[in-house]
Amino acid sequence: MDVEAKRIMALSISKLYSLRTQRGGLRLHRSLLLSMTMRAARDIYHTAQLLRDEEEEQVVPCAPEEPMEVTKDPPQTVTPIEFVANPQEAKDALEEEDKENRCAPERHSRKRRVKTALEPDFLPLKKAKMDTDEDKQHLQAEVLRNSNGNSCRQAETLTAFPVNRAIVAC
Amino acid sequence: MDGHGDGQSRWCLSQVKGAVDDDVAEADIISAVEFNHSGELLATGDRGGRIVIFQQEQENKSLPQCRAEYNVYSTFQSHEPEFDYLKSLEIEEKINKIRWLPQKNAAHFLLSTNDKTIKLWKISERDKRPEGYNLKEEDGRYRHPSSLTTLRVPVFQPMDLMVEASPRRVYANAHTYHINSISVNSDNETYLSADDLRVNLWHLDYTDRSFNIVDIKPANMEELTEVITASEFHPLQCNTFVYGSSKGSVRLCDMRASALCDQHSKLFEEPEDPSTRSFFSEIISSISDVKFSHSGRYMMTRDYLTLKIWDLHMESHPVETYQVHGYLRSKLCSLYENDCIFDKFECCWRGDDSEVMTGSYNNFFRMFEREGQRDVTLEASWENGSPGCPLKSWRVSTGSRRKRNEIGVDCLDFSRKILYTSWHPQENIVALATVNNLYLFQEKLN
Repeated sequence: MDVEAKRIMALSISKLYSLRTQRGGLRLHRSLLLSMTMRAARDIYHTAQLLRDEEEEQVVPCAPEEPMEVTKDPPQTVTPIEFVANPQEAKDALEEEDKENRCAPERHSRKRRVKTALEPDFLPLKKAKMDTDEDKQHLQAEVLRNSNGNSCRQAETLTAFPVNRAIVAC
Repeated sequence: MDGHGDGQSRWCLSQVKGAVDDDVAEADIISAVEFNHSGELLATGDRGGRIVIFQQEQENKSLPQCRAEYNVYSTFQSHEPEFDYLKSLEIEEKINKIRWLPQKNAAHFLLSTNDKTIKLWKISERDKRPEGYNLKEEDGRYRHPSSLTTLRVPVFQPMDLMVEASPRRVYANAHTYHINSISVNSDNETYLSADDLRVNLWHLDYTDRSFNIVDIKPANMEELTEVITASEFHPLQCNTFVYGSSKGSVRLCDMRASALCDQHSKLFEEPEDPSTRSFFSEIISSISDVKFSHSGRYMMTRDYLTLKIWDLHMESHPVETYQVHGYLRSKLCSLYENDCIFDKFECCWRGDDSEVMTGSYNNFFRMFEREGQRDVTLEASWENGSPGCPLKSWRVSTGSRRKRNEIGVDCLDFSRKILYTSWHPQENIVALATVNNLYLFQEKLN
């Protein structure tokens, strides 16, 4: 399942990039759908990653665990619930993630290096980070526009569609 | 139900328009098809910004056996590519939608739109011209005053029919995002235009102002979860319109309730079946087209795999659901890879609302009879059918065994698709566009 998720994630990212260069400007509808699909795949992928880490942790003796966790047959049930309960936290953590995973939750700190090694190789993290500011400005320039005098509504400042953030997140 | 394939259908190929070779220029790809209110005219728009109008010949209409043909009536360049210098963006000239105005006099009017600008075109005939000017020669040169010795009254003389298309109004600069729909109100004075986040109301006579009636843009764009994908005015009630969203819901708004229709009057949404949830559930639930029935009682929505008919009095679920190509459900990942999952199929009603039609892949199109619960899959192909011959219906099978007129899912050609369809308002003639060509089919008369 996570192999599929990884593939879809990679596919979505490359499609999002190629959207930028398409004639006619950024297509909001397509960007939104791609972004949502990518996030769904990313969530599954990272859940799977966390599950794998959980399993590895079970093998290594660690700090005394709560009785509940020891007796539970499938220990990984704890992780996804926590993960789902804090999607925003996880999302924020992921968005600030760099290659060394400095912002990773404390409980995984032991696994940091391993996680780095397993970091998907298709994700151009450094490149994305370098491009972030340019891309954000470019997107803002694309989307930001003086609203015309035709509409009765107050003209609003448009902020960039968060495509760039989603890309950096991975 | 997916195509019962019981042999011959009632439909036969009438005409094919466009180049028959496989090598088609990008600009020639048809992007809009629309009959006018009488069915006499059929307009098509293409990616090159051109509009071609076909007219039904009147001569043979009285003969029951042979339906009149459609021939080219007018061709004109509606939109040109533009460049937004502020954003360094090119604005495509591709025609997204064409909508005819009801005819009020001898001339015909239509609205056409690309991503940013809507135009009102007047198509009129000229078959006479004035001759016998006093001050001008026949070729237009002015005569020398000293050569004038007599006076005469210019008279109209017949000339070869000339069809002129002239832009009467240009409605520009009202959409930040890409326009996906236009719809003429039943009051014949106003129309709406919708982009990804907003719906604007225009008066046909005024180009320098439009009234924003729906705005779903969130304060923070990062919170954006859905966009508007299609919008239409009710055919009879001038205060009612609907808009479909990328989340699969349709909102009906009443302009009498409030000037700004952000709060819907009705929300048509069917709960998702959790057993079919996948990565692509969001994408395939996105509404690609919404059309009211001619009666105004029902509304039809198209998403990637289904056609749904809603009773406007019931919001909880559709009254009818038709599987267009359910066999694609297991292929969604591949369709995501080749971008086909983003294809936006249109749909249309038969004149008496008893049947509906939509396109599919492999140049198949599907027709659904509402009353008899029968459906048929037909192919738009000039190779496999000759004019006048009834079309054979097709079946798409998932198994390995093949009967005649059966094709396996894996053999479908996803580059050949029918996105745009239109049904003659009174007769059983349908027009649909494949990538290369415009096809006209008519019902066999027994």
